[in-house]
Amino acid sequence: MKNLKELLDGTENISGYRISEKNTVSYELFFVHKDLETIRSTDATSTSVTVYVEHDGKTGDSTFKVYRSMTDDDIRAKIAQAHDRALLVSNEPYVLPEGGVLEEKLPTDLDKYEPAQLGSMIADAVYAADDVPGGSINALEVFIYRDTLRVVNSRGIDKKQTTNRVMIEAIPTFTDDKQSVELYEDYRFTRFDAGKLTAEIAGKMKEVRDRAVAVKPEGEMKVNVALRPFEIGGLMREFAYDLNYASVYSHANMHKIGDDLQQGDGDKITLTMKAVIEGSERSAYFDEDGMELTDTAIIKDGVVCGNFGSSRYGQYLKVGKPSGALACMKLEAGGMTDEEMNAEPYLECVSMSGLQLDLYNDYIGGEIRLAYYHDGDKVVPMTGISMSAKLSEVLATVRMSEKTDVIGGYEGPVRLLMRGVSVL
Amino acid sequence: MPFSAYLDSMRGECRQLVEELGKGFDYVSVLGTDVKEAVYRADKKSSAAQDGEGECGFVIKMHDGRAFYEYSCDDISGDKKELAAKITAAVATDAALGERRITTGAVADEPMKQDFVRENDFADYSDEQLLGVCRQISSELSAKSEKIMNSIAMIRTYTVSKLFVTKNRELSQYYGWSNAFALIIYVDGRPAQARLIKGSGSLADVIEQVRSGLDGIVDLATHLVKATPIEPGVYDVITDSSITGLIAHEAFGHGVEMDQFVKDRAMAKHCVGQYVASPITNMHDGAAATLSVASYFFDDDGVLAHDTQIIKDGILVAGLSDLASATQLGTAPTGNGRRDNFRRKAYSRMTNTFFVPGNDKLEDMIASVKHGYMLFQTNNGMEDPKNWQIQCTAEYGIEIVDGKLTDHYVSPVVMSGSVPDLLKSISMISDSFEVDGSGFCGKGYKEWVRVSDGGPNLKVRVKLG
Repeated sequence: MKNLKELLDGTENISGYRISEKNTVSYELFFVHKDLETIRSTDATSTSVTVYVEHDGKTGDSTFKVYRSMTDDDIRAKIAQAHDRALLVSNEPYVLPEGGVLEEKLPTDLDKYEPAQLGSMIADAVYAADDVPGGSINALEVFIYRDTLRVVNSRGIDKKQTTNRVMIEAIPTFTDDKQSVELYEDYRFTRFDAGKLTAEIAGKMKEVRDRAVAVKPEGEMKVNVALRPFEIGGLMREFAYDLNYASVYSHANMHKIGDDLQQGDGDKITLTMKAVIEGSERSAYFDEDGMELTDTAIIKDGVVCGNFGSSRYGQYLKVGKPSGALACMKLEAGGMTDEEMNAEPYLECVSMSGLQLDLYNDYIGGEIRLAYYHDGDKVVPMTGISMSAKLSEVLATVRMSEKTDVIGGYEGPVRLLMRGVSVL
Repeated sequence: MPFSAYLDSMRGECRQLVEELGKGFDYVSVLGTDVKEAVYRADKKSSAAQDGEGECGFVIKMHDGRAFYEYSCDDISGDKKELAAKITAAVATDAALGERRITTGAVADEPMKQDFVRENDFADYSDEQLLGVCRQISSELSAKSEKIMNSIAMIRTYTVSKLFVTKNRELSQYYGWSNAFALIIYVDGRPAQARLIKGSGSLADVIEQVRSGLDGIVDLATHLVKATPIEPGVYDVITDSSITGLIAHEAFGHGVEMDQFVKDRAMAKHCVGQYVASPITNMHDGAAATLSVASYFFDDDGVLAHDTQIIKDGILVAGLSDLASATQLGTAPTGNGRRDNFRRKAYSRMTNTFFVPGNDKLEDMIASVKHGYMLFQTNNGMEDPKNWQIQCTAEYGIEIVDGKLTDHYVSPVVMSGSVPDLLKSISMISDSFEVDGSGFCGKGYKEWVRVSDGGPNLKVRVKLG
């Protein structure tokens, strides 16, 4: 980094630069059934440099990669190429974020353990749940990461943050004399809790057993459908993408400030983009520009109230203090109690191929691999079905749970209930 | 010479590391990668000319008669004894986990030394020319209608240099691919996006393909703003080549990736030799099966590219494997071991996956449909190799009534249901053939690699929603 900075500082015809250097050290375990097939480790650094050139009243920029293999002459040649490319690019002027020195570690307890020790503890916690007759975990992948991101720019920013995170991919499977079924699940965490992990996997083992006895409904249903946090997060991320400064600037956004997304009597959505959410591996203190992150509400009581995004696009939209590229989001809890949710029959989506969302076509839907139909008295596992609805209609009457959880970059209600969804 | 000068200079270092690690492992390979991407983009307001995703590094793979070990790093120069000790320590496990390692047969290391090169025309174009093409396409699109709020054009060039070294093997390869992309945001009452993506080993070809399709993008947008949701139901469907490819890839291809066989994650494991599709159906995969984005010379395990017939006359005949899965299954690897990048593990992955053309004419296929839809443009899909459920989304469909395409567009359209039901419903296959080389494929929700898929038009019966 020092040498790279010196080479850039010594280049006269550029207006500014940004260096982003990310080192990832990992320890990875790959199991086939309960046996260890592959052990991996990485120690690799990815460095990218953006060169900025002001010309003709415009700002040009160009990014290139720097590798360990490069000599000083190689890097000088890449700087010269980036300068020439930046001269071809004529974007609206903007300035780089200024100043700020930081060195922080995101909250974690994972660094208490040696990677090999933690990997072993994680495997033990997962396989402790592999005790269901007929059930098995057919595959397990464990990824233990330590990412160190440093961003330096020509206007005095020098920030470094370290993120310790774990990602697990587990495949709970159930086999009887008629069939074998599985569910795909991934878990991400920044603190290790063996008991919680075993309990989560045990829950999935029960669900996959239910998939084996799940039935397909006889005909089309019009039913209330409850989404879980992974899918709720996906729905909210679609709104976040729409309300990003870059979407607005490029006219790709559907909604603008003041739009009422929920013209009905449902629980109102209040969505805030956040820098740090405890337990989320997407938490960050600064973005790729080194910009300080400012939590920003984008939907309040069902009405679009703000936009968010990078410094550059914020400046284009004349935002006084751009939020920075926030990666986490918090959806405020709703008012629905368990009793209220169970007051009417509903279908609870446990596993989907992927939630399909299309704001342009006002669509929400997807194939459901496992759902529970709650009829008030009993719970019936269902499979082989797909749902579809008009997004605006279900948002109008949506209900959200009081209980909340954190999954990925999402913090919010554990259930979101959509009324009158077609299920075939 | 187009092959990476850096990797060329590292051949000796690779051989020394193989020798040093070979003192403790039965099999050692070193894969060096030097991948470069350039991106040019213009829309109404902004532009870019820069490097895209690239990589330059090494992954060392070892086998000790039991498990596999891998270490990824940026550099392997320096003292090899020291580096070998560092690598060995980095992939160590605690004693209990060590006892749980698999046991496999030996890894084959057939002698071979060869350098492969597929030339391209990327150097014929300057940065200024390529950004100029993007600006011109964007301007031409914007000029076609005042209802076009934004028009985006993009060109990407991608070159791959890889060096593979074992005790008995030294292979190098260089090849490239290019994609061009145009998209408009069109507003007429409501907004719609219409796009065109093309891929080719020749920049001249790919630019021409997109330039010649600009009127079609605008025409599509005028229909998409009037598109309605589809009435859910089971329909006769004609697929365009991209939806054919989506079916080949998502509905079936993932299910024959043989690392899933090892994990008992694929129903196909139990169906080899059985009818899985209608008897007129034939399907292939392979880096050597056709020329497209996934046409390499050897895979990331150093196995030469194959052309694998997966379905022959409706019967499942073969799957796709990487080195680790083939070693466990006792089969020969099929050249499908692929990594997202040098930092990631190799898995069994598809390459260029397609159905083989038949004898029917597209117009006869459409004429045979009383009421149904013709589906166009892949949006996305999700595999379910264990339970053979599918979810494939097309950007749009056109209603067919009494054997004729109407002016009624539906969007988006999600195909779902059972894979065998879908494949066994194939009743007509056109004599045309097109493979789309612009896609990426993940395994689960990660491990992205470049893939192509396609084939002829198919007539199928499937649930749409």
